[in-house]
Amino acid sequence: MASFHVSAPPTAEEAVRELASGAPGEVAVLAGGTDLLLDLDEGRARPARLVSLRNLPWRTVVWDGAELVVGSTLPLRALETVAGLGERHPALFEAVRAVGGVALRHRATLGGNLGRSAPASDLLPVLLALDAEVDLVGPGGARSLPVDRFLRASRETALGRGELIRAVRLPEPRPSAYLWQRVRPANDISQLSVAAAYSPSDRRWRVALGGVPPRPVLVPEASTPLDGPAPSPAAVAAGARRIAEHPALVSDRRASDEYRRGLVGVLYTRCVRAAARRAGAAA
Amino acid sequence: MIRSFRPDAGAKLAGTAGFGYDLDRPGMRFGALVLAARAHGRLDSVDLAPARALPGVVAIAADDLSTLLDGAHGDPERPPFASREVMYDGQPIAAVAAPTLAGARAAAAAVVATLAPLPVVADLESVFPEWPEAPIASSAPIAAHVHARRGDVDRALREAATVVRGTYRTSGVHQVALEPHACLAEVRDGLWHVTTSTQSPFGVREDVAGILGIPERSIVVDGTWVGGGFGGKGASLVEPYALLLARAAGAPVRLALTYREAFRLGRTTLPSVVRMETGVTDGAIVARRVRLLLDVGTSLPGRDFATGYAIGFLLGPYRTPAFEVEGYAVRTHKPPFGPHRAPYAPQAAFVVESHLNEVARAIGEDPAAFRARHVLAEGDRTALGQEVSAFGLSEVLRRATAVRDAWRRDAGPGRGVGLGLGFWATNTGAGGEARVLLSPTGLEIVQGEREIGSGSVAVGLVAAAERSTGLPRDAIRVTYRDTSAAPFDAGVFGSRTVGALGQAVDAACRAALAALGDRLGGAGELRLELEGDEVVAIRGTARRPVRSLLTPEERRDGGLAADGRHTGAPRTIDESLVVEGGFYPYQDFTGAAHVAEVDVDRETGAVRVVRYAAFHDVGVVVDRPTATAQIEGGIVMGLGAALTEESIWSDDGRLLNPGLLDYRIPTLGEVPPIDVTFVEGFAGAGPFGAKGLGEPPIIPVPATIAAAIRDATGVSLTELPFTPERVARALKRA
Amino acid sequence: MTGDGARITVNGRTAPITEVPGDERLLDTVRWRLGLKGTKEGCRTGECGACTVLIDGQTALSCLTLTREIEGRAVTTIEGIPDAPFGRAVLDAFAEAGAFQCGYCTPGFVVALAGLLREEGRSAPLRQLLEELGANLCRCTGYAAIARAVELARARGP
Repeated sequence: MASFHVSAPPTAEEAVRELASGAPGEVAVLAGGTDLLLDLDEGRARPARLVSLRNLPWRTVVWDGAELVVGSTLPLRALETVAGLGERHPALFEAVRAVGGVALRHRATLGGNLGRSAPASDLLPVLLALDAEVDLVGPGGARSLPVDRFLRASRETALGRGELIRAVRLPEPRPSAYLWQRVRPANDISQLSVAAAYSPSDRRWRVALGGVPPRPVLVPEASTPLDGPAPSPAAVAAGARRIAEHPALVSDRRASDEYRRGLVGVLYTRCVRAAARRAGAAA
Repeated sequence: MIRSFRPDAGAKLAGTAGFGYDLDRPGMRFGALVLAARAHGRLDSVDLAPARALPGVVAIAADDLSTLLDGAHGDPERPPFASREVMYDGQPIAAVAAPTLAGARAAAAAVVATLAPLPVVADLESVFPEWPEAPIASSAPIAAHVHARRGDVDRALREAATVVRGTYRTSGVHQVALEPHACLAEVRDGLWHVTTSTQSPFGVREDVAGILGIPERSIVVDGTWVGGGFGGKGASLVEPYALLLARAAGAPVRLALTYREAFRLGRTTLPSVVRMETGVTDGAIVARRVRLLLDVGTSLPGRDFATGYAIGFLLGPYRTPAFEVEGYAVRTHKPPFGPHRAPYAPQAAFVVESHLNEVARAIGEDPAAFRARHVLAEGDRTALGQEVSAFGLSEVLRRATAVRDAWRRDAGPGRGVGLGLGFWATNTGAGGEARVLLSPTGLEIVQGEREIGSGSVAVGLVAAAERSTGLPRDAIRVTYRDTSAAPFDAGVFGSRTVGALGQAVDAACRAALAALGDRLGGAGELRLELEGDEVVAIRGTARRPVRSLLTPEERRDGGLAADGRHTGAPRTIDESLVVEGGFYPYQDFTGAAHVAEVDVDRETGAVRVVRYAAFHDVGVVVDRPTATAQIEGGIVMGLGAALTEESIWSDDGRLLNPGLLDYRIPTLGEVPPIDVTFVEGFAGAGPFGAKGLGEPPIIPVPATIAAAIRDATGVSLTELPFTPERVARALKRA
Repeated sequence: MTGDGARITVNGRTAPITEVPGDERLLDTVRWRLGLKGTKEGCRTGECGACTVLIDGQTALSCLTLTREIEGRAVTTIEGIPDAPFGRAVLDAFAEAGAFQCGYCTPGFVVALAGLLREEGRSAPLRQLLEELGANLCRCTGYAAIARAVELARARGP
């Protein structure tokens, strides 16, 4: 591992300035570090400088009416213990709990998951299904992007030079569910995952697929058949057929395309049913 | 004050137990290996100059050996470094040492090796696509061939009322000791010193002598606490490199592998393919044929016994009138095959048990009843003609069958209950010596072997001395010495420690008591007791403090010293049955029957183990909590091999999962409640009739899980491990 | 070392870290700089849990923690665990249950369980505690004795 220098600016302005002053690859953002440090060890990244976000006042989480605003550097462990999260955003709660162990969750963050854009992240499909907005701050000021536009590919995002993720906003509580499949239930990477959420405001479903390259994706064709908060078995079956045709279901060393295609409808059906049960309970 | 049945609780819970990884000396350098980055290649050059240009760095490769060893030459079959040809991904081609670990890693990265690609053989079956229909040519990459038979198997199979055939595949698995290999070496006063985390200090000494070509008397090996071994630390791995680096650096060198390196250097169980045929007439097995291809990687001399061993376990503990077994140890571009807790026995048990379940079903009989009619018992002969000594397998089978039946009665939908047998031939044959020192206040057991975790040394040997002398355990302690001062022993492996070394301790204790008895007088059995802090010898009405029985010399030397040794009983097979290759007799017959209940998700293929019961033929229980823990640990290691663990190689021979995220050992949340039952009374060759227990618990596990999945789904799995994807695929096909 | 330099506290004692390079892991700081070898080095990739320590009472993987990132905070290693909440209870429970064999994963397990009990409290369901410890790997015990120790420690309280 090449050595590097770490700075920990106290304000967002300084952090942005430091970040913008370096060439891409020369400077990197350090949030929880759980993923970045592995890249540094393996030589996949060789920045000379890291800008640590530890002194920024972003370890926050607030309910702003229906909206949940999660600071980008809030540890996942703090997020999972937010009162009411399990009831109002059950899929997010389930996805957070699927990440590593407690020690890892004390360090890992939503901002880090977004910024690193790992295809196998358990959080990203849920953020997609919940229509999360990503608040950014950079040399050109602040802006917001829907998470679907923020994520581009594996390790690729819409972050501009010098830009930082400040917060993630979830617009409304949604009956939702997150299901994953792994070879080993704990301490493993999901081979495939499905997040499903029902929006009470527009009365439509969002379904997202995780554990697939190059990034987790929304699958509109699998949500459109779902008719209302308690979709019919036929509607769920139609959605299951459609999601199984998704082109991202390919072979890699974690699973074959054949297994993923057989599995995705199962996870989808169970996930939609779980979310629908929660929608029924919420109604 | 810590209360525990483990005498090592204090050090291990306080964090003061020093492991190989913790070794540290003033002026120490950090070592690192340079590993080949392809599985097969022509090594055109190794340029150490860029590494040597870094501050404080020494770097060595094959060309430096002669100088470092003063012209000595090691075993040409086991060169430390590749010199002309690289035979597996991860083979060491150079080593470096630097003042810091980061410096060592940087130096290793600076070494430039020119490695021209050569064709890679990674997959066993690609070598012999026509096997077993087509014979294997003698020119093929065969490291060993074993072949034995009795009777006319062709004819017996032709005439049998029912013949069942099956093909099974097993995967490579890794020991995954939580502490990777680590040692610290130093060359001073003409002696090669190495302190290391090992299952066998004397084995390391012998290995180092052979590999470097230096005499054993100039090598001193000391042990540390060992962070798990499971067979992976029974031979040398890092020690020769550390010693060579220490010589080159003129300073102590610590060499510790990373997990990634430990995975890539391998020396563990590799994949196999097995074809089985069994003929049955009137409910009785009339003939069996077993054919095996066993991947032995870059086979090392002395390791080819693996095939003969594997074949023996593939026959299973069953009476077989006519049989033919033939196995090939096949060389591939992988690290050498090496011992992994009960080498190949869990894989063999999976194959033979699964196959016999099919045989029983083909004739409409309950598999347990079918087994009960065929299982070997004392006085029988094995297929290879060895007389069976005391063997409790039918008893454990009977008891496990009752549990299986009870669990089946209340198993819900989607659930299945399976039973599997496993047998093991405790390897107490290898030599072992013990020395005890009886002082006025207690008994000391002097040892070179270190406690590797199982408790076989820290608890087992103490329990043996307790039984022999009558002294309470807290008056008995184990003291550890290096190979220059300790009595010889072969190693803490092969389920032999309590059996062989325990017997040597027992003999040493009895020798000490006999010496005391001559001085004490009286008649009958002599026992020791603790009275306050004083050890007292008692025989009949005679009763005196040991202090008063010692000679002045003994008092000066700390006590009365006595030696004991273990010698295995002679065992033989019927060599006239052997056509070619090495087959081996068993020292003791031990075994277990396991029962598992599983919950199978038919849609995802996920298998959850709900509960587990184990019945073990142990001869006699030497220490109940330690024995229980050993069985629990072995079962869970077996669950890993059954469900999630497999080494995966690319077509070009690179290990794709050299880490703990992708090589998946079980975690706490997956482990079922385990119920352990000891079956005593079938005495083994160990002290007081004990049988070895380190390996047997892992053996029946994959077979048991396969049987439970079969019960839940009606589908028989033929390939390990039973990952969700494999189970789902098998269910889809069915 | 001057009084105003960067520092952390380890087991109640102040440790200056002004000399610590920015890329040094807490694991290496405690093991090689402070000589506290009780914290075990396993994977260095956050996959085994052997290096678990407490930072301000919360469990952390010292292999994935840059020492300079925790400036001013308090670290507890296995050597300091007897004085931490639930520390004594966990140590006693591990001893009594014999919840270790080789002992290499043990410091990580002890620290992780003490931290978990402090966060979750004694009323946490046993199942949940066991699942939360899934990130700590053990190869010897089969976890059976560790599960017994978790139950004992929870019953004993801080």
